[in-house]
Amino acid sequence: MTDRTVTLAHLFPELLNLYADQGNISVLRHRMHARGWTLSVTPVKLGSRVDFGSVDMVLLGGGSDREQQLVGRELAIYREDFATAIEAGLPVLAVCGGYQLLGEYYELQSGERIPGLGLLAVTTRAGKGRLIGNIAIEWVSQNGESDGKTIVGFENHAGRTFHDYAPLGRVLKGHGNNGRDHHEGLQYKGVVGTYIHGPLLPKNPHLADHLLAKALAFKGCHEPLDALDDALEWRAHRSVLGMLGVKSGEIRA
Amino acid sequence: MTRVRAQAALWIGRLITLLLRLVGRRGTSLPGLIASRVSPDLLFRLLSQLELCVVVTGTNGKTTTSALLYGMLSDDEYPWLTNRGGANLLQGLLGALLPYADRRGRLLVRRAVLEVDEATLPLVTNRYHPTLIVVTNVVRDQLDRYGEVDGALAMLRSGLQYPGAILLTNADDPLAASLGWERELTYYYGMDECPADEEPRNEVRDGAFCLICGRELQYERYIYGQLGYYSCFSGHFGRPAPHFGGKTDGSSELIIRERVSDHRQEEFMVDAGAPGLYNDYNVLAAAATARLLGRSPRQIQVGAEHYEAPPGRMQMFPGSPERILALIKNPTGANSVLRTLESDERDKAVCFAINDADADGRDVSWLWDIDLERFVLAARCQHYICAGTRALDMAVRLAYAGVDRQRIQISEELPEVLTMTSELDVPVYVLSTYTALYPLGEQLQEAAR
Repeated sequence: MTDRTVTLAHLFPELLNLYADQGNISVLRHRMHARGWTLSVTPVKLGSRVDFGSVDMVLLGGGSDREQQLVGRELAIYREDFATAIEAGLPVLAVCGGYQLLGEYYELQSGERIPGLGLLAVTTRAGKGRLIGNIAIEWVSQNGESDGKTIVGFENHAGRTFHDYAPLGRVLKGHGNNGRDHHEGLQYKGVVGTYIHGPLLPKNPHLADHLLAKALAFKGCHEPLDALDDALEWRAHRSVLGMLGVKSGEIRA
Repeated sequence: MTRVRAQAALWIGRLITLLLRLVGRRGTSLPGLIASRVSPDLLFRLLSQLELCVVVTGTNGKTTTSALLYGMLSDDEYPWLTNRGGANLLQGLLGALLPYADRRGRLLVRRAVLEVDEATLPLVTNRYHPTLIVVTNVVRDQLDRYGEVDGALAMLRSGLQYPGAILLTNADDPLAASLGWERELTYYYGMDECPADEEPRNEVRDGAFCLICGRELQYERYIYGQLGYYSCFSGHFGRPAPHFGGKTDGSSELIIRERVSDHRQEEFMVDAGAPGLYNDYNVLAAAATARLLGRSPRQIQVGAEHYEAPPGRMQMFPGSPERILALIKNPTGANSVLRTLESDERDKAVCFAINDADADGRDVSWLWDIDLERFVLAARCQHYICAGTRALDMAVRLAYAGVDRQRIQISEELPEVLTMTSELDVPVYVLSTYTALYPLGEQLQEAAR
């Protein structure tokens, strides 16, 4: 194999950049680089085409309500190709607004529905008050099994999200998708949707590597990822668990 | 009944001020806090007596601009009062007015420069109409506090709605300038000439969209953050021509060209000795306000010469090592501070003190929107120290910005900043979030003695 490049399409960065997506990209880039790979990031501005055939991974970040409405208007051109790629297993990381955008609509307090990409059967309604604060979840795999790994970060969303897919995990402390069913996020094939930012990946290196392994597999490369020195990342991870009063014995990194 | 409560609140506030003075403490927020609990009315009874009142609001630069402006306006003949040190919520405003009220509730000083928090502005202007409002800029701040930048903009807009409100704002910031769009009684300041980036830095630009058509704004020139010379591709919206134009070559000298009317064009120089382009904007905003209120260029320069940085705004603590304390609270402000550090060509140490209490912003995502990658390459910084409740988040941030992990010292305890830096023979910049700033300031003061 000569081509050791993974291509990440960063969708609509001019609109969806509210929660430090550069942090997530920086983590992916460094962790690829440390394994002798290059992460090539293609920013895709709203309105320009994406060749999903040449993309190994997609990042959708979060935006403000105003910006999300702007995005909503011009999504139709992406729907078909994006949906096909997701069915084929394309890894997608969708955070906050990007997570909502994967779904069918975002319903405002007024009842008005802002259309989403309509890729997954996910709906979001604006609730009274924002769900804000540090959050910790137990990561549950798509077949419902858990080996006790945690994911930590910060959430800040007015939207309450509902779906019947596997969640990313079970809420240990915080609100999650809707503050009611103790589920956080979504997993479907290669898609990970979540409200957790902070940003998401720096303090969750296991999740970063999970996404990178999926991107490599999607590319047809099944080499295992070398372990990196993540002592600092795990200290930061554990300090958030500590703040939330979640016992760090639950982590098996 | 409200009158009785207001009178009681006044006496209680005065009594506490007096007691605190007896035990040697000044400048605490306690009298204002308690008096405003007793009577929310008292503040407005005092405000209504002001003859002139300038409110300074916006995301960054409020405290420095207010301090500069106060110096330019106040003299023995016409004394002004101000809420020094960033106490910018309702109780802070009351705390600033209380010492100037006599026991019958009459204000003895009737001109005020008041720094007001963006969310507090509508609460103030709902019941009291200041003479002039300065909006310094509207940039991404504490997302968990106001939701998002659009929320801050909406609060400012509603706070500016009273009849006769005069607005002075920043032409170079599309979000702040949008407040004056199709509005009367609006004045702008902006940079005519300054050292600026040819290429946009790796920064967030929140205002980068036309408010009418939603298209991305085109920048002819970037200054910093979202500041620059911008226009909408469809011609809906663009940088307004500033009434006060600044010219700087990167030194602390600022030349101001005034174009308020065709027959009154002047040019004058102001030097407040405050480093950094962001401070040039603060000086420009303050000088423009003082001019609008009729101060002469000479009076403005005299005021600027006596300017001393408010606590934690590039505040110097001489000693060995020399330590310099600066507030960082959002990416745009932090980038501006880092650039000022880059322009100091000495070897140096940098300590980041990052807390996540409510006043700091509980969400530390913003650390990843700071352009640290460039700083790490350009700043001649040998020592990195992380402190505060989020020291570890900052350490991870530095590691991904390219700092060798082994070289990052970490302590969540603030007092250890002193011990960890005491042996260094290079200047130490301490960059701190809000709640770590005052404890650190006291410790650094102590050590500098």
